[in-house]
Amino acid sequence: MVLQDLGRRINGALNDLTRSQNLDEKAFDGMVKEICNALVESDVNIKLVASLRTSIKRSVDFKELGPGVNKKRVIQKAVFDELVKLVDPHAEPFKPKKGKSNVIMFVGLQGAGKTTTCTKLARWYQARGFKACLVCADTFRAGAFDQLKQNATKAKIPYFGSLTQTDPVQVAREGVDKFKKERFEIIIVDTSGRHRQEQDLFDEMVQIQQAVRPDQTIMVLDASIGQQAEAQSRAFKETADFGAIVITKTDGAAAGGGAISAVAATHTPIVFIGTGEHQYDLERFQPNSFISKLLGMGDMQGLVDH
Amino acid sequence: ISGLFRNVVGGKKLTKDDLVKPLKAMEDHLLNKNVAREAAVQLCQSVETELIGSKTATFTSMDTTIRAAMNTALIKILTPTTSLDLLRVVEATRKSRPFVISIVGVNGVGKSTNLSKLAFFFLQNQYRVLIAAGDTFRSGAVEQLRVHVRNLKELTKREGGEVDIFERGYGKDAANIAKDAVQFAAEQHYDVVLIDTAGRRHNDTRLMSSLEKFAKLAQPDKIFMVGEALVGTDSVAQARNFNDSFGPGRGLDGFVVSKCDTVGDMVGTLVSMVFATGIPIVFLGVGQHYSDLRGFSVAWAVQLLMS
Ligand SMILES: Nc1nc2c(ncn2[C@@H]2O[C@H](COP(=O)(O)OP(=O)(O)OP(=O)(O)O)[C@@H](O)[C@H]2O)c(=O)[nH]1
Ligand SMILES: Nc1nc2c(ncn2[C@@H]2O[C@H](COP(=O)(O)OP(=O)(O)OP(=O)(O)O)[C@@H](O)[C@H]2O)c(=O)[nH]1
Ligand SMILES: [Mg+2]
Ligand SMILES: [Mg+2]
Repeated sequence: MVLQDLGRRINGALNDLTRSQNLDEKAFDGMVKEICNALVESDVNIKLVASLRTSIKRSVDFKELGPGVNKKRVIQKAVFDELVKLVDPHAEPFKPKKGKSNVIMFVGLQGAGKTTTCTKLARWYQARGFKACLVCADTFRAGAFDQLKQNATKAKIPYFGSLTQTDPVQVAREGVDKFKKERFEIIIVDTSGRHRQEQDLFDEMVQIQQAVRPDQTIMVLDASIGQQAEAQSRAFKETADFGAIVITKTDGAAAGGGAISAVAATHTPIVFIGTGEHQYDLERFQPNSFISKLLGMGDMQGLVDH
Repeated sequence: ISGLFRNVVGGKKLTKDDLVKPLKAMEDHLLNKNVAREAAVQLCQSVETELIGSKTATFTSMDTTIRAAMNTALIKILTPTTSLDLLRVVEATRKSRPFVISIVGVNGVGKSTNLSKLAFFFLQNQYRVLIAAGDTFRSGAVEQLRVHVRNLKELTKREGGEVDIFERGYGKDAANIAKDAVQFAAEQHYDVVLIDTAGRRHNDTRLMSSLEKFAKLAQPDKIFMVGEALVGTDSVAQARNFNDSFGPGRGLDGFVVSKCDTVGDMVGTLVSMVFATGIPIVFLGVGQHYSDLRGFSVAWAVQLLMS
């Protein structure tokens, strides 16, 4: 699982510290350094790591801690809080309503896993009693419509797309209009991969968005993304104002810190994670239980303020 | 980074203590460029070893001294020890048999797209190219290559380009398809065979171990791995695990680093992959069109890394 190694190292560092003879400032600094190295190796944005280091240090002020204080507890809580802050933006994601048309548009970098995840999500809602369908608004990538079509067919989900129309805005509008008329409740629009360096591609994303007026825009991020995650996700946020993040390929070996940094950069919640190439490989994401699991600390729940 | 360590140390013999702070800043600089920490730490260590005990030139700041040393270290790590002139090696085999290249890598990095760019490159050099649809798993993978072949035919028709697809649909064993494709290419006198493969996680032991059989049956002249510039620390393990997956005596022959146009100056993945394996970068993918394939320039990469 993603971040498992990171969890082990953070735990290790915390335990080393609390086991050490003198729980003094020097040992504490050593622990903070070890945790920060682990975060950097997990691709957490390095500016974020620097500010996390400052926050942890600030919240555990050795001179202020009286002799009666349980230092271990204070330090654990500081680390836990900072990590939760990283993945929990305290923003509520959109919840689709039955009996009305909910349009969900996917955006993201090239090859992130949008098309695969579209079908997974449609199937997810279908299994929960929604009438779900798919619209392929990727007219650029070779074989994009075939890919969506084959996935949708396998999952028995109605789809719309065109092999001849080259304007994605047109296809998106047609597809969404058609399915709205047919009273579909979840209409998922797949789009081409794009990146912030190409303005034309970003303009196109805005035009598709204006044409289909999504109730929710979801950004799909690959768990292996590195330091570019922040700049890219920020740019997508500013242009498409996505309201949720899906992290894909969490079955890989990458620690996922880059994708998680996107949460902090955009104050947007992760709603699902992709755990494989098949249509059922999708899981809901809960930041708190994620961090607890990550740290292997059932008892940490009690430390969180709500 | 200029301005981080301005203190002028002209004519001074450098000690470990002098170097701690500026080297930490240099390490952070590399991390910021998306160099994996493992590689960044080792690069800084080599610079430290190089500089301890050395005397800086008069009026040379610490900044300049460390930058120069890192510059050299990066050039050293990125410069290939053997040259790979792909056209020359293809030219050498084409009279007797087709030259076989297979493309491997994790999911979605750009294997099929960059394979098509390679096809375009060979077509422009008047070679006859056969593309083998060895991804029999991912939906649309075969149709994707069909579209590329159709486009490439159209694009290079006037210059006499010849490109075809060898496909056996979905669900079949990729190693056998590759073998059949190579045999077909030999019979039909193609110059180059480009074999696409399905994306696979490098921590998936089942899919990774099937690469050994694949290499045995396809007997590729070159195995290129596509890695994407967006990837962070995982690039190290990706490169290592793919390099180790083809059985004894067989490894990767080069990297194609894709999506370089999406990372600005954060091109650290280039360093991480070479650091992990010592295998050279052969091409860079710099966009989504057929002409967006570049040869690798060490000077270009080092300049971005040090900017
Ligand atoms: N292992 C694994 N692979 C995944 C996951 N999600 C997607 N993939 C794979 O990643 C690759 C790219 O997925 P796509 O869905 O085509 O990505 P995309 O974002 O639509 O790509 P473009 O449309 O070209 O931008 C495919 O090989 C998928 O099978 C996941 O959760 N785990
Ligand atoms: N910007 C940019 N996009 C690229 C580049 N190379 C490939 N892509 C895009 O990345 C996406 C995935 O490319 P594919 O060639 O399908 O990737 P793949 O590795 O074959 O994917 P799977 O077969 O699903 O594992 C597509 O949208 C490509 O257009 C590049 O150099 N720059
Ligand atoms: Mg897609
Ligand atoms: Mg492919």
